[in-house]
Amino acid sequence: MGDNFQNNKTMAPVMMDYDFKVKTQNERSKVEDLFDFEGCKVGRGTYGHVYKARRKDGSDTKDYALKQIEGTGLSMSACREIALLRELKHPNVINLIRVFLSHTDRKVWLLFDYAEHDLWHIIKFHRAAKANKKSVMVPKGMVKSLLYQILDGIHYLHSNWVLHRDLKPANILVMGEGPERGRVKIADMGFARLFNAPLKPLADLDPVVVTFWYRAPELLLGARHYTKAIDIWAIGCIFAELLTSEPIFHCRQEDIKTSNPYHHDQLDRIFNVMGFPQEKDWEDIRKMPEHATLVKDFKRSNYQNCSLSKYMDRHKIKPDSKAFSLLQRLLLMDPNKRITSEQAMQDPYFTEDPPTTPDVFAGCPIPYPKREFLTDDDQEDKSDSKARQNQQQQQQQPNTQQNQVQANSHDHGANNAKRMRMAGPNQGNNNTTGGQQEFHQQQQMMFGGQQQGGNSQQQGNFQQRY
Amino acid sequence: MAGNFWQSSHHQQWILDKTDLIRDRQHDLSILSDEEYQKIFNFFASIIQVLGEQLKLRQQVIATATVYFKRFYARNSLKCIDPLLLAPTCVFLASKVEEFGVISNSRLITTCQTVIKNKFGYAYGQQEFPYRTNHILECEFYLLENLDCCLIVYQPYRPLLLFVQDIGQEDQLLTYAWRIVNDSLRTDVSLLYPPYQIAIAALHIACVMLGKENQKSWFAELNVDMDKIQEIVRSIINLYEMWKSYDEKKEIQGLLAKMPKPKPAPQR
Repeated sequence: MGDNFQNNKTMAPVMMDYDFKVKTQNERSKVEDLFDFEGCKVGRGTYGHVYKARRKDGSDTKDYALKQIEGTGLSMSACREIALLRELKHPNVINLIRVFLSHTDRKVWLLFDYAEHDLWHIIKFHRAAKANKKSVMVPKGMVKSLLYQILDGIHYLHSNWVLHRDLKPANILVMGEGPERGRVKIADMGFARLFNAPLKPLADLDPVVVTFWYRAPELLLGARHYTKAIDIWAIGCIFAELLTSEPIFHCRQEDIKTSNPYHHDQLDRIFNVMGFPQEKDWEDIRKMPEHATLVKDFKRSNYQNCSLSKYMDRHKIKPDSKAFSLLQRLLLMDPNKRITSEQAMQDPYFTEDPPTTPDVFAGCPIPYPKREFLTDDDQEDKSDSKARQNQQQQQQQPNTQQNQVQANSHDHGANNAKRMRMAGPNQGNNNTTGGQQEFHQQQQMMFGGQQQGGNSQQQGNFQQRY
Repeated sequence: MAGNFWQSSHHQQWILDKTDLIRDRQHDLSILSDEEYQKIFNFFASIIQVLGEQLKLRQQVIATATVYFKRFYARNSLKCIDPLLLAPTCVFLASKVEEFGVISNSRLITTCQTVIKNKFGYAYGQQEFPYRTNHILECEFYLLENLDCCLIVYQPYRPLLLFVQDIGQEDQLLTYAWRIVNDSLRTDVSLLYPPYQIAIAALHIACVMLGKENQKSWFAELNVDMDKIQEIVRSIINLYEMWKSYDEKKEIQGLLAKMPKPKPAPQR
């Protein structure tokens, strides 16, 4: 057979040995042979689909997350993800257990430990509670513990010269009941982004998922390189959102398909919170590629009364608190002045009471619902239009109570869950009027003194409410 | 990723034991002599090098591709997958892992065709590069499986730069040692020794070549296992010895003909 190659140019030679092929086929395990996950989709996005899975052989009863990577074969992002996750090992970074290559349909599957929660859902839960004037009981130190573990994980990534590049609440997972209860896991690093052309791939991404809310100002002004400081900014945004339950740089998300990094509305939002940067605070701002556009489009005088301390004060975070002082160091406009993850971990915020805990829930009951299973109507997903997106956002509002969703069985509940997940915590600011029941505040109210002592009573309370 | 080598899959899984390596090659070495086997790898390393250069890849990426190639055949016979297919597959995978832009499928195939035709005609005669994109993609899955998904490879280049800096910048020394590291890809050292040791060995050879006796104290102060360094030096020197009396253009067709080949499915 091999000789055909010699005689006939058009005939491909035998590329692979038959015995080798059969042997590897027999040795290869198929994901569907080892795991049950049918109908258990818990997430979907540009990255692909995620399923909650159990081992079929019952050798353990743990939950696993199976991620089917979008598309077929090994895209560059899939390669990067596998290559880096294979090497990374840290308690606060998602752990890749195994890779399955499905040769028949050319799908790539990644097996991870299952994380029941993520900050997107957690914050959304608090927002919903706030809108309904209910309180959520969480330990006083939860936000601090979350932040500390995020910093710990990012410090590990940064010291290995891995930049996350896409930090946002949805990518910060939190483990549910089990041996790693309440532990942060950083997931979904932006593996595909070229470090010298950070914005190029954005144009290709699903507009629903891309958000500019966590983008550092230098990126919005055309910075060409991803840096550690860009990740730190995003952590600052997440910290603020944990403290207030509101995305600090919330901004209408239209025109997001643009491949231009410059984003007027997002910058306007940042200046509305932070104030317009003073020359002395950010000297190199003049060197930014979009500086001329900035000068043309913005007037300093429009932001005269804006400052981070005023914004946070409105959200009941006192400007003299340690939390605020750390937040301010994370959200410095000048990337060169922003602190590093290592410096942030040394901040006095972490040494004052309450202390951080390895279980961010500090042994208390977890008030958040488990992940919903999503229905399998990919078609609708792919063709998702802006009109539908807006519609969903409107529909979602009266329905945000998780227990309602949970009570409904598959058909309806799942649809709600999907809508909410895709739309983002983007319900507008219509509910800022009522009683400002802030995340941070609630914690202090709920778990004032001795956590254990208060527990039983509060738990009763808790069960009544949710 | 410039992380910690000592915790890497490279260190933990892919610094192989020499006796294991020889044992795993037994099938091929029953057909080929040690030297023939090395000459075949030398040839495919050249193909990977030229392909990488044509695709304008950095040496780091080319070196990674070469190590993938060597790792695959460290565990498998040459007959399992045609090395003429595996070589471009390694280049393709390495370029994605090292994040220097995706090579389009068509560009990869076209480059393979021109390289085989124009640069390696002495080995393949009038034969065209016989594979297409679908072959590469299928092969890529097998490669990834056989690499056990270990895709980050540490190379001697970075430690080499650091060492040369430490010695006191000498362009000539770096140029020589850099080339020796490139040459070392034609030996087994990347399968057997950590990259920093290969860098030191390359520096050692470069110093001898340049008659730089005064660097002896620098080597003496290093806290490394000099026996290992000597082993690496010997492997590389052996390669140079082999090259002296080797005319690839004359011998390679015979070697490729002798090489164990994939067998097709049995006919019924």
